[in-house]
Amino acid sequence: MLAASRVPVVAGMGADIAGARAAIALAERTGAAVDHMNSDALLRDVEVMRTAGMMLTTPNEARLRADLLLLIGPGLVEAWHELPERLVVRPSVAQADAKATRRILWLCPGGDPTKLPGGAKVQVVGRNRRDLPVLLAALRARIAGRPVGKTALSAKALDALAADLRAARFGVAVWSAAELDTLPIEMLCGLVADLNATTRFSGFALAAPDNALGVLQACGWMTGFPVRTGFGRGFPEHDTWRFEAARLVESGEADCALWISAYRAVAPAWQRQVPMIALTGENAKFRQVPRVHIDIGRPGVDHDAVEYCPATGTLVPVVARNPGNVVTVADALAQIASALPSAGAWPC
Amino acid sequence: MLTRIKGGRVVDPANGRDGVADIWIRDGRIIEAPGDTRADETYDAAGKFVMAGAIDIHSHIAGTNVNTARLLLPELHHGAGARHAQTPLSNADWSTFQTGCLYAAMGFTTVVEPAVAPNDAMHAHLELADIPIIDKATLSVLGNDDYLLGLLRADASASHVRDYVAWTLATSRALGIKVINAGGAAAFKCNVREFSFDDVVPFYGVSSRTIVKTLQRAVHELGVPHPLHVHCNNLGVAGSAETALATIAAAEGLPLHLAHLQFYGYGKEGERGFSSAAARLAEAVNGTKSVTVDVGQVMFGQTVTISSDVLRQFNARNQASPKKWVIFDGDANGGGIVPYNYRATDFYNAVQWCVGLELFLLIDDPARVFFTTDHPNGAPFTTYPDIFALLMDRDLRAQWIATLPPAAVAMTTLASITREYSLHEIATMTRAAPARLLGLRDRGHLGAGAVADIAVYADDADRAKMFRAASLVFKDGELVVRDGEVMHYRWGRALAVAPGHDRAIERRMQEYYSDRYGLPADVMAVPATAIGRPEPFEAVPCGR
Repeated sequence: MLAASRVPVVAGMGADIAGARAAIALAERTGAAVDHMNSDALLRDVEVMRTAGMMLTTPNEARLRADLLLLIGPGLVEAWHELPERLVVRPSVAQADAKATRRILWLCPGGDPTKLPGGAKVQVVGRNRRDLPVLLAALRARIAGRPVGKTALSAKALDALAADLRAARFGVAVWSAAELDTLPIEMLCGLVADLNATTRFSGFALAAPDNALGVLQACGWMTGFPVRTGFGRGFPEHDTWRFEAARLVESGEADCALWISAYRAVAPAWQRQVPMIALTGENAKFRQVPRVHIDIGRPGVDHDAVEYCPATGTLVPVVARNPGNVVTVADALAQIASALPSAGAWPC
Repeated sequence: MLTRIKGGRVVDPANGRDGVADIWIRDGRIIEAPGDTRADETYDAAGKFVMAGAIDIHSHIAGTNVNTARLLLPELHHGAGARHAQTPLSNADWSTFQTGCLYAAMGFTTVVEPAVAPNDAMHAHLELADIPIIDKATLSVLGNDDYLLGLLRADASASHVRDYVAWTLATSRALGIKVINAGGAAAFKCNVREFSFDDVVPFYGVSSRTIVKTLQRAVHELGVPHPLHVHCNNLGVAGSAETALATIAAAEGLPLHLAHLQFYGYGKEGERGFSSAAARLAEAVNGTKSVTVDVGQVMFGQTVTISSDVLRQFNARNQASPKKWVIFDGDANGGGIVPYNYRATDFYNAVQWCVGLELFLLIDDPARVFFTTDHPNGAPFTTYPDIFALLMDRDLRAQWIATLPPAAVAMTTLASITREYSLHEIATMTRAAPARLLGLRDRGHLGAGAVADIAVYADDADRAKMFRAASLVFKDGELVVRDGEVMHYRWGRALAVAPGHDRAIERRMQEYYSDRYGLPADVMAVPATAIGRPEPFEAVPCGR
């Protein structure tokens, strides 16, 4: 199927590092485009970084050092269930600034964040998520000493918030790109950078699931680019519109799809029928029956793996909790590659 | 399989050889001439130079900071050209695959990535494993990490520090230890914006000097071949020469390596308060035999600075070109990515270019000054051939100097220097000496028993052309490059030391990780099985 395809697409990409490497290598061999199922969120952060730059820190620095956590927008605990346990409760170890108590501000949580454990006191500022972009802009302006018009907050409340941020000794802003558009993210990152004129402040972006950040890293070192990179012309080209998997399928451009979802049995959301090879966990519910379906072991559960770890912000080795005789994404793709008629070296 | 490289001019300073000879290879190693036996294959090297594969001791080729730079700057690299079926992804600009091919084409066979955060070693080694052809190694970065600073704060024993350093080396699979603006990144987290050699890190109460001296001694006492690799404080600022001189003086008879000295070669003289201090630094290096340096030469053009000196990168952020940057407060050092365009018409950049060449030419011993651009911070490693040519030809230097702002050249001594490097000296600087510095006894030379990493260059008056495209390159005895083209992939190894430690440190690290992070210390591990290639590591012995 892949050899006969003129425009194949490798999508889903829910894979460990070895699986991602094999998938990118197979895309290179077959002239396919590569996309991840959570690219929308993933690429918002990438887009802001490569347009405007960013200041970032690690979850562990936020955990140990932050005297102020600035939580931004809704969906944070949903994006990272361990967030309360890892960032809200501060371990009692000797550390610079450890004497300062940790304040937690939550800007526009879009709901009731009282669920945070440990009796942590959260100061909610602004409730409606729709107010967030304007509030971020106004806050940045006030921190820079510029006048602002009316916002959802009173001028007094806005200035009090700006003063709190300026008074932080090591503040950390936390956001999830699954819930924010690029412009608010860019405004937030600019605000964080501005605060560093006088104090220390940094950012921490929550990762999209299905090893999206791990796949981003592997795609970066193998091709120079993030996902939504295509090899149709024999060399990697990155274009977030051209190489979006769903668009390629829905528009009819793609004539074959290789779908990978090893962490969960997710099926693609596209509507259009396309000849499909699917590598997923058991019980994936497809709208259309894949022509080829290979049951895949879960990385870190059924087989050892390397993947992005939200608790460290790095790639870590994970020992299988329940090792079994399963097929991995990397194994399956290497076998598919070896059956391709086109000659060439396998770089994985 | 018996291979003969016939009749080339063998330039092998480690063995005192410089003359026409044959080199014989069997099973990936160089052997003595086997008498009457006929070679299975013979390569004619008449009219060519035969050297050991070159070794780069300091080049940022892998890890999260490098990968962030790739993602930050898509406009600086483009895939291009036809797909190479035998070397897939080598046409992906700035990919790991291309990195290996470009290095191999120049005759480099071993490259050290000098700035790996220990907690990020897994990532760095995965990237290194996707760099084909060449062997690799890493230096693990300590000196801004809470554990070490905590030991110093508590006045812990030297053996405890040694155990921690040894555990870090073993866990992160590194060849050596680097310290980057010792204490500066930790101080920056407490909002310190300037940090010098005798400044004290808040909370820990320990000076940069103490951190450097402690690590220098620990590395030495562990018998790690490569001395502590120091990125000094105050990189890039006018007057930084004073910091470098103080650091050189602090070697106090023990081995110490100063990285990219060019970036500390600046005085404060002249109308603009920016001048070359290279002559003073070179004099200090010449007179301090336990110190080695690498240069970090600047070449003109667009590049990106990638450094774990987060304080320096933060202070340089407004010079970013294009105007975007990433500053990363890591668990210890973190880092910063700041794109930069060195311009020949710029006074400061022209001084920088001169300072690097002055250091190369004024430091007498080519075995103590190493060839680097601090890739990509001074320039991409692809500029190496041009730098070799500049070192070997004073007339070529004069041509370049003539294009620079005279006011800049006047702040340096470069125009007055007539020295030209010989091929023998180039081979010393890029082969024999780096192998010795890193403790790689079977590399950097062409004697019997050496790994058959060999570069053959066709003699050409245009030395840049000669070094850009090696005529033949052998890696472990296997022909991998012909006429500057990589023919097929093979997968190198990462060279690493493990000097041994008291097992008690493992329990301490587990406790430390558990108390601080609520995680097992295993998140730091780099299991060989996780790399995805057979035998990804090669042990380098310690002890002296």
